[in-house]
Amino acid sequence: MATISTHLRNFKEPTKEQAQRHFFGLPTDPSKEDVGTTDHKFEINAVLMLNEDQEDSYAGKMHLLPPYLCFISLDRRSVKVSIPLASIRRVERVNHPRAVGVFQLGLTLWHGMKLTIQLTSLRPTADQFCAHLRDALKIQLDLGRMRQVKAFVKTCYSEVLIPVSNPEADNEREDGSIMTDNGEVDGNPLAQTSYHGGLGLTFKFPGDAKKLREGSKLKLWTTYLRAHGRNLTLLRYPHCTRLVQVGLPNRLRGELWETLSGSIFLRFGNPGVYENILASNAGRTSTSTEEIEKDLNRSLPEYPAYQDERGIDTLRRVLTAYSWKNPELGYCQAMNILTAALLIYMSEEQAFWLLEVLCDRLLPGYYSPSMYGTLLDQRVFEALVQRCLPMIHDHFQEVDVQLSVASLPWFLSLYINSMPMIFAFRIVDCFFCMGPKVLFQVGLAILKINGEKLLTVQDDGGFISLMREYFASLGDSAHPKSSDPRSRAIIKFQELLLVAFREFSVINDEMIDSERRRYRGDIIHGIESFAKRSAIRNLSTFGRFTKDQVGLVYDVLFKALCLSPPPPVVMTKRIISGTEEENERPETRIELQTFRLFLADIATWARDEYLVSNGFQERVDRRIAEHEFIDRLFFFWDTNHTGALSFQDLLNGLDGIMFSDLMSSIEWFFVLHDKNKDGWLTKDEVLTLSESLLFIFRAEVGDAYLGTVSRFMTNAFEYGDALQPENGQPAPVTPQTEVSANSPSANPEVASNQPYLNKATFRMVVLADPLLEAFFDVDLPRSFQLLPVEDTTIRRNQPGLGVLGNAVGGFFSSFVTDDNKKIFNSFVDDMGKAIGKHQVWPSRCLLTLHLRQFPRSLSAPQSTNTSAILPSKNLCAKQLVTFHESKGAAKRQPRAGARHRPLLHLRRHR
Amino acid sequence: MADTSDASQKPVQVKLVLLGEAAVGKSSVVMRFVNNEFQANKEPTIGAAFLTQKCRLEDRVLRYEIWDTAGQERFHSLAPMYYRNAQAAVVVYDVTKAASLEKAKSWVKELQRQANPNIVIALAGNKVDLVSGQTTPRATPASADDEDEADDATATPGESDDATGSESLRQVPKDEASAYAAEAGLLFTEISAKTGDGIVELFTDIAKKIPIEHILASRGSAAPGTSTASRAPAVNLDDANEAKNACNC
Repeated sequence: MATISTHLRNFKEPTKEQAQRHFFGLPTDPSKEDVGTTDHKFEINAVLMLNEDQEDSYAGKMHLLPPYLCFISLDRRSVKVSIPLASIRRVERVNHPRAVGVFQLGLTLWHGMKLTIQLTSLRPTADQFCAHLRDALKIQLDLGRMRQVKAFVKTCYSEVLIPVSNPEADNEREDGSIMTDNGEVDGNPLAQTSYHGGLGLTFKFPGDAKKLREGSKLKLWTTYLRAHGRNLTLLRYPHCTRLVQVGLPNRLRGELWETLSGSIFLRFGNPGVYENILASNAGRTSTSTEEIEKDLNRSLPEYPAYQDERGIDTLRRVLTAYSWKNPELGYCQAMNILTAALLIYMSEEQAFWLLEVLCDRLLPGYYSPSMYGTLLDQRVFEALVQRCLPMIHDHFQEVDVQLSVASLPWFLSLYINSMPMIFAFRIVDCFFCMGPKVLFQVGLAILKINGEKLLTVQDDGGFISLMREYFASLGDSAHPKSSDPRSRAIIKFQELLLVAFREFSVINDEMIDSERRRYRGDIIHGIESFAKRSAIRNLSTFGRFTKDQVGLVYDVLFKALCLSPPPPVVMTKRIISGTEEENERPETRIELQTFRLFLADIATWARDEYLVSNGFQERVDRRIAEHEFIDRLFFFWDTNHTGALSFQDLLNGLDGIMFSDLMSSIEWFFVLHDKNKDGWLTKDEVLTLSESLLFIFRAEVGDAYLGTVSRFMTNAFEYGDALQPENGQPAPVTPQTEVSANSPSANPEVASNQPYLNKATFRMVVLADPLLEAFFDVDLPRSFQLLPVEDTTIRRNQPGLGVLGNAVGGFFSSFVTDDNKKIFNSFVDDMGKAIGKHQVWPSRCLLTLHLRQFPRSLSAPQSTNTSAILPSKNLCAKQLVTFHESKGAAKRQPRAGARHRPLLHLRRHR
Repeated sequence: MADTSDASQKPVQVKLVLLGEAAVGKSSVVMRFVNNEFQANKEPTIGAAFLTQKCRLEDRVLRYEIWDTAGQERFHSLAPMYYRNAQAAVVVYDVTKAASLEKAKSWVKELQRQANPNIVIALAGNKVDLVSGQTTPRATPASADDEDEADDATATPGESDDATGSESLRQVPKDEASAYAAEAGLLFTEISAKTGDGIVELFTDIAKKIPIEHILASRGSAAPGTSTASRAPAVNLDDANEAKNACNC
């Protein structure tokens, strides 16, 4: 567990449009071709009538969400329609003879239903809607989508169930200006239809068809589908939900699952993608495929198809294809059970897209590597139990029983591995039709029905056993002692659904969403602190740090990772070429870029601070310093030469520096600059070392440090020359040689890349200067500080997004989330610029080599509004205090540090 | 403790958790112990499975409440839910997979820091049937129904001293694991869920090492603060009632 994941930090609430698409079961990300069509988004109040049946009309809202047309009734429950524009064959203006001025559109759908839409908005709005609809339809036509419908619907079983016996429809297709490919005439639809179906067609469906009343269910559905459309054009009227609740017929189940969940739109919009994924990844393996392989034989093993190679192969293909499609998620146990269940009723391609909808929309985060969705929904479930069943909740608290020991698998496998399959599938039916709330409703109903017994449970084990008994008895009569035979005939499962939908009808998706929002922060915090504990536990050594200090280092590292995540290439490599369970346990390693961020939070000299004042607020902005010295440190700490540092490397590196005394500080500083590690610095390296010193000192005010570095250089070259070996033998370093350094050098001709200065001489040069001595003794180790990371600073959106773009686009919608300080800042900056009050000052000046020529001007006092300077001054002063107080070295006025800033970076914006 | 004698007749409930890398055979070990059977294709454990089995010692009967956890790495964060309050843990690794021992070590580390401080931890190297060379002769008739593919070598312990070709499958030397276990203060054994080798002994050894008196004592004195170390109260329904009657000494 050496990987550190920051992906939870990047969670974003769905935008309004995404939420809307979710609601209608549409793909969230429109395919590339459809990108342009989203311009035609439109909403309008409307009344929907089917086949001009005035009695059965519903008021609601029409949403044009290209390439789909959607409708939702006012109660947001009764009628829900999502149809691809491509399945609309004709749109006409209906002139109602009696009602003048009523704006009605007649829509003829692929399956022949006629929808009448009465636009109840004002006339101009209605006109606008029509214009958008026309344009959106035209785009679909140009894309050739209309043609695809015909071939696509043939893959659906409902087309066999309801043969195209309607000659009218055929004619109309020919007449319709939209359809053109009507070359062949459907003689026998069965002969031409190759519909998708599941393993159940070959291996039989679970359960007794007679007992399940397969025949009558099929009949009812046939009637419904004939009137209300099917597959792509299914209109969901109240009757539809009722039919779903009594259980779907086996043969239609797969198709209705994909229709009700909306995965059919993905299959329709992405023809051939499934096969392509399989083909392009043929022969490849990954951790996920290995994990899948382990579980293939243990997915619903009691079902005959999974005792057969054909069934196993089917399952393997779907799971691996999905793991390639979504490598970040890969494969999670429980997906095998779920997919195995889907495949009984659906084709591979259907199951693949349904899996996508499940992982992406219906069960978000359930199967992700951190499983945060699972944990979150368990927390939400617990909260709902507390609210709806307080007695059970309190009792569990009292006897310390955890709800999720039993309920977690319910949610994770949609009850499939908890209850007998035939019952679980009925819950799955409702789940696809009504959404994730069903899982909660059923869970609550289970607890409620067993309430009395649950109150006697004393421990987790008892709870689990009770649940197991209950699930095993779901087929038994709910009221065995009742005198009424009808009530005796009600089985416990029927009772369960009844309780779930009657008594817990208050649980709706909005409630679940808001509960999820409430607990998301807690859950993420929990997962992250767990990851932190694990990461710390897995360190081989803490060095001289305490556990708390190690925690601080982790926090800084985590923050850096949030701001600069490892490049995606590394990410996929990590995921594909073996994650957690491989021999070479991958570790999160940071690269130079992230290291700079990391160091900037620890070493005072690795960052530049600017004071920003915009008329509304003042704040200090940190920027990452870039210097060869930092890069050097990176490679110095990279003891394994992997080009990246692990948490342990960072800790070891810091350990080597922060606890150094004078001699060891001098030592590592020397080694850091000794590129070939031969114990000698070349002349070039001496210069580089001086530059490093200047870089570190750049924020110090005045000449003292400048002078020191320049003395250092003089001394280094003087001593170096003096100590040049007479006969290729380095002179011994003794106090005597120091004295003799005054005499002219005997051997001044040393090339700039030849060994020149050894450690002992370097040490001598350092010790000759009190300021340098103080620096290496105290200031350098102390310039590394472990400070608590403010949590809010981490919760940001990914860096690299245009901050300004963010501010403009998402400010109002996202300000409430705490991770938008940055956006807020830039927003007020913009306002500050607008009113001419935006100023940025470096709170520490950039003292690098070239500044030697202008030392005086830097400290020259400048007069501006001093009040704005204060924070900056304090920062500088703090720096200086660490340096100066410690050794009482040449003191400068600390205040001067704040004074010089306007000179360098004062920017005034209009 | 007034009810100690009472409890010696009643089985003492012991919560035991199985941890270890995926596919090292945790569930199989439990199946072997609980039902004395070996099933090749069992559904993977989602979250955790819960089983119970009695274990008889000379003077006492223990009732193991076994939590068999999911092995896939992403289920790791759920593990604390199952090992909290556990009095015993079996950390399983696969002798033919070196990495699985590393994972086991990290589990041990986690247990030692996060779990009940009195927890008895056993390290078990599973699948020794694949590396016949090192198997020790069996002492108990635990493997009544050996799988037909069971390694012949296990049936003829005489051969087991000279390692054969199958020994090359072994990636974790017994000595190495044993030395680690000794250093970390763990029980150690090598087992085979397939043949049943060492399974019963494993659970018996754990049972012997469990401070039963301590569990009973802490249960008897349910006064707050007496047993923050071993949070045992959530163990036995009957005893919990007794605990309520016991005085808060």
